[in-house]
Amino acid sequence: MTLLAADLRAFLAAARKELRQQRRYPTLYLGLLFWPVLLPAAWVLMGHAYSGNDPQALAAFAERAGSTNVAGFVFVGYAMYMWLSSLLWGSGTALRQEQVRGSLEAVFVTPVSRLVPLFGPGVATLIPMSLTFVVMGLALWLFFGVVPPLAAVAQAAVVVVLGVPALYAIGALFAASVLRFGEVGPIVQLIRGMLVLACGITFPVAMLPLWAQVWAWLMPPTYIVEDIRRLLLQGARLGDLVPHIAIVLSIASLTALLAIVVFRYLETSARRTGMLGRF
Amino acid sequence: MGDVRAAFAIARKDIRSFSRYRVAVASTVFTPLYQFIIPAFLFGAAFAVNGRQAGLSATLGTEDLPGFIFLGGLVGGLISIAFWGIAFSLRNEMDMGTLEPSWLTPTRHETFIIGRALGGMFWFALSQAVLFGFGIWFLGLRLRAEMLLALPAVLLAVLAMVGIAYLLAAVVLLIREANFFVDTMQFVVGMMSGTAFPVTLLPGVLQPVALALPTTYAIDILRAEALGSRPIFDTRLEYAVLVALTAVTYPLGRWAFGRAEETMRRRGMLAQY
Repeated sequence: MTLLAADLRAFLAAARKELRQQRRYPTLYLGLLFWPVLLPAAWVLMGHAYSGNDPQALAAFAERAGSTNVAGFVFVGYAMYMWLSSLLWGSGTALRQEQVRGSLEAVFVTPVSRLVPLFGPGVATLIPMSLTFVVMGLALWLFFGVVPPLAAVAQAAVVVVLGVPALYAIGALFAASVLRFGEVGPIVQLIRGMLVLACGITFPVAMLPLWAQVWAWLMPPTYIVEDIRRLLLQGARLGDLVPHIAIVLSIASLTALLAIVVFRYLETSARRTGMLGRF
Repeated sequence: MGDVRAAFAIARKDIRSFSRYRVAVASTVFTPLYQFIIPAFLFGAAFAVNGRQAGLSATLGTEDLPGFIFLGGLVGGLISIAFWGIAFSLRNEMDMGTLEPSWLTPTRHETFIIGRALGGMFWFALSQAVLFGFGIWFLGLRLRAEMLLALPAVLLAVLAMVGIAYLLAAVVLLIREANFFVDTMQFVVGMMSGTAFPVTLLPGVLQPVALALPTTYAIDILRAEALGSRPIFDTRLEYAVLVALTAVTYPLGRWAFGRAEETMRRRGMLAQY
């Protein structure tokens, strides 16, 4: 067996291990039904309070957000929020979890590539995320009567699939970086908070000050959210989004490379200082 | 007198131990800012027409967007203290194995809840002061003297929330995995009280539940007095209902807590989790 094939097997084994652990805690799936529905629903009601069904207020919103469909706008934003949450709390803290359980050293003693523990756990995020998107789509339809055209949904799914590497890379970079910190909870909150504020999750990016908009457009989630909204709510076609998709894939490659560099640096440092077993 | 001293000692202990976690202290300000205040403000501002909140005015009778958000956040903070700072902290004591030794002291067990409430109120006051400062400085929040007229409503809400905290503490002590329960219930109670939007926008079936919560009236009175918004009912009637709900909630919470404690003593559940 070649080295690459062996690493691939190890990668699949790492992903299978994460999925098996998820299956052991079925109450976690309760959250998949609750939060993806109630969080955005609350923001839709806030939108109703702020608009007061006033045509001028709705027109002002459309000018900034690109659509008068407040429910659709909020649900797409919150789909990204759920994705980021799942990513940062899941694969983003996977290495740290191994460290806390005392199994990180054991994993590093195995002959597999270091990229396996770095990227393997990310696969486990994909299944709950797919379920979350389905639940949110159903809630949008059943509670707010918003049903985007099927062709638009299919094109949005393509954008999501093309966005996976970027989000995956962000998760890996985060996972590698947090090995340095003792307590990851507040770091997750901080990073998620920055992403929520910058990426147009609950409000249009146009509402941010100019300097913040520049930062926002350096982050892949901003493009993904914007593109899905354009497809589902504004009738754009996939071909219109090619420049954005190219930017997202480029940033994904850079982020993944950065994650590998950070991970290698921390690993080297950990070997010297013996910090792997400390937390 | 002994119980009062014990309650303040528990509060002091809680304040001291929480202050050791600097990032956690900072997050009492940062989390509401990024999760609610700033996104809600920018979301609301996206509906502004020539700088005026015509939509909010049509819904509530006030154009004061920052005031609407911050006053909702104020009562939302109280709810959070009751759920996490008081009820869930008992769970943390169980996890750390310190609940049994604490309960073996001659202090009444109800006093632990009061002590935690006092400690929670300290952090609540501190974080709200910083948040309101941020609102005044960056978001154009204006405080008006009329806000003081709603002070009795806020004090009643504090008392009612201590009652609810007793109820929740009873549930938290009896169920093994309380995290999901506390998290979801806090969100549901906050939203149904009208922290983020008026309860009149809730679906019809949920409105009776919202009107059974004391915090709904506290928020409504607070907004009506401080912002001049349209109350759901006459504010005198709302005060009467708030007093009645507080009078029911507090003893009900104490009773439920006592029952839960008795059950735990009988089944030897204190050290189980």
